[in-house]
Amino acid sequence: MKTIIKTIIKFATSTAIIMAATSTSVYAKETTIGVVVKIGGIPWFNAMEQGIEEAGKKLGVNAFMIGPTSADPALQVRAIEDLIARKVDVIGVVPNDAKVLEPVLKRAREAGIKVITHESIETINKDYDFELVSTKAFGIANARLFAKSTGCKGDYAVYVGSLTVPAQNAWADAAIGYLKKNCPSMKQVSERFGVAESVDDSRTTTLDLLQSHPKLAGILAFGSQGPIGAARAVEERGLTGKVAVVGLFSASQGRRLVHDGSLTGGFVWSPIEAGKAFVELGKKLADGGSVKDGDTLPALGKIVLEGNNIIANKPLELNSKSVDVLAKLGL
Amino acid sequence: MFHLSIVERIKKKGTDALELYSIIIFLIVSILFFSLISSDFFSLRVFQSMAFQLPELGLLTLAMLIPIISGGLNLSITFSANICGLSTAFLIKSYLPDFGVLTVFLAFTVGIVVGIFVGALIGLIIAYVGAHPILVTLGAMIFLRGLGETITHGGDISGMPEVFNTIGNSLMLGIPIPLYIFLAASVVTFYIMQYTKIGFSIYMVGSNPDAASYSGINTKHILVFVYSLSGALAGLAGVLMLSRFNSVRIGHGYSYLLITILACFLAGANPFGGFGRIIPLVIGLISLQVIASGMNLMGASQYLVTAMWGGFLIIVMMLRSPFLKKN
Repeated sequence: MKTIIKTIIKFATSTAIIMAATSTSVYAKETTIGVVVKIGGIPWFNAMEQGIEEAGKKLGVNAFMIGPTSADPALQVRAIEDLIARKVDVIGVVPNDAKVLEPVLKRAREAGIKVITHESIETINKDYDFELVSTKAFGIANARLFAKSTGCKGDYAVYVGSLTVPAQNAWADAAIGYLKKNCPSMKQVSERFGVAESVDDSRTTTLDLLQSHPKLAGILAFGSQGPIGAARAVEERGLTGKVAVVGLFSASQGRRLVHDGSLTGGFVWSPIEAGKAFVELGKKLADGGSVKDGDTLPALGKIVLEGNNIIANKPLELNSKSVDVLAKLGL
Repeated sequence: MFHLSIVERIKKKGTDALELYSIIIFLIVSILFFSLISSDFFSLRVFQSMAFQLPELGLLTLAMLIPIISGGLNLSITFSANICGLSTAFLIKSYLPDFGVLTVFLAFTVGIVVGIFVGALIGLIIAYVGAHPILVTLGAMIFLRGLGETITHGGDISGMPEVFNTIGNSLMLGIPIPLYIFLAASVVTFYIMQYTKIGFSIYMVGSNPDAASYSGINTKHILVFVYSLSGALAGLAGVLMLSRFNSVRIGHGYSYLLITILACFLAGANPFGGFGRIIPLVIGLISLQVIASGMNLMGASQYLVTAMWGGFLIIVMMLRSPFLKKN
């Protein structure tokens, strides 16, 4: 029994030390902002946490991130339950499944907590959602880069992850619309291909297209693996610099290809900026502020307000300089 | 001397009492620990939050405990739960008008019936094919997940009548309604396991299937019952999740699976079958929730919470071993 008690005491003291190290000023009366993200421990959300903490320090608020151990939406519900119990002033959330969170977010708002979502325009029970870039602006930004690097001439193909992913297809719609209007001489070789979530599929599709369409000037790919696969195919055929590859990809994965020139570039948005925006916006709401169309907000710039969705225009260009910076963050 | 006599005295009462006392002490220590560390912890708000979170995991853990007592395991509980949730949601959305409270009773009935059906199928395979429960339920788990993904195309069914939201997200006498459902299910399961012939037979089959069989117990029927009961509890959990989330998708709650197994062993269930009681399980679940909510309240990392849970299981096993060896 003595040893048992000793073990328990030892364990309790050691956990107390862990607690003291991890707990963030429990008794503070300052504004408290808790942000629940899709999953913890991955580079994208580690970067977002960095943004949240930086902005928290700058504004003197207690801002922290909660990253569930898996992308199960049930775990996000639990995390939000605990934030309600903790009586934070603002709950921020990047939902895994917008619908699952509606009941618990409703209760959070009934408890007087402000709710901010990100990448979830469809959420109903919220004060505001913010997007760093509108789908249209994002498609057009990529299309503009594409037009510039192809000189508005030749054939092109469009890849998406799958024909059923709404965001990727909306980007593709906007990009194709832009090219039709501004580069009327360019021709899309076929319907869009649903290959952009696989490096191999994107690569083989590109090899086939290069074979069958000698006038192919470039590939526009919306899906994390599409630009990588397409750029590899271009590199293999020795067409680096002659065929443009533009799209959305992970900086660390595409870094070498960008430096070699086979991957022209593209756009993403910054999770660090998103983290900062959560805190800036949260503080503003907690202080009783609101957002109006055309406002210029810190971390978001000049915004458009559609209903209670805040749309900023902050695409982040992926080029030979920015990929190195982003890759260092593990993105 | 004094300490020794306590150990002896507890031992005389048997391992069941020992498990119960130790798990109660564990709960009290957890609550005291967090109350001392955080002044916010000991409040109605926090306990209500915990009571909202506990039931779905609790029902799934009950669904896991019964097969473990019988010497098996049911890996298909989370996907069974969502198959039940999906069937219920589909039926209500497509065929039934909103009957108010009656719809909810109907929903729970449908969920439980589908759960019994799925569980009975699994039980029949285990009993009559003789394959190990881990293999059969692993197969069932992957099958149900694939089936669910195929039928729904990975999508969800949502927008239940308002009364579901009331069941899943409101209070009655200051206590969340899901907690009543969990406690009712616990009482029924407790009664079955503790006071009925079939419950006693489940313990016997788990301890020694051959001996049970020679003493006149139809072990095949018992196994079918075990997995049907497990399926029924999973079905109840599925409908409860449906009303908590106002939405159901095949993947909801998949991360609970291993936690349910952890909770069973924490409460003294034996991985080789034959042992495990409902009351220590319920108290153990509350302790795990206290740890999780307490740590979240202090802003600790979610990964640290799971590390704590795992650490507690290992420590409890270490503390338990001297008592078990001498018995």
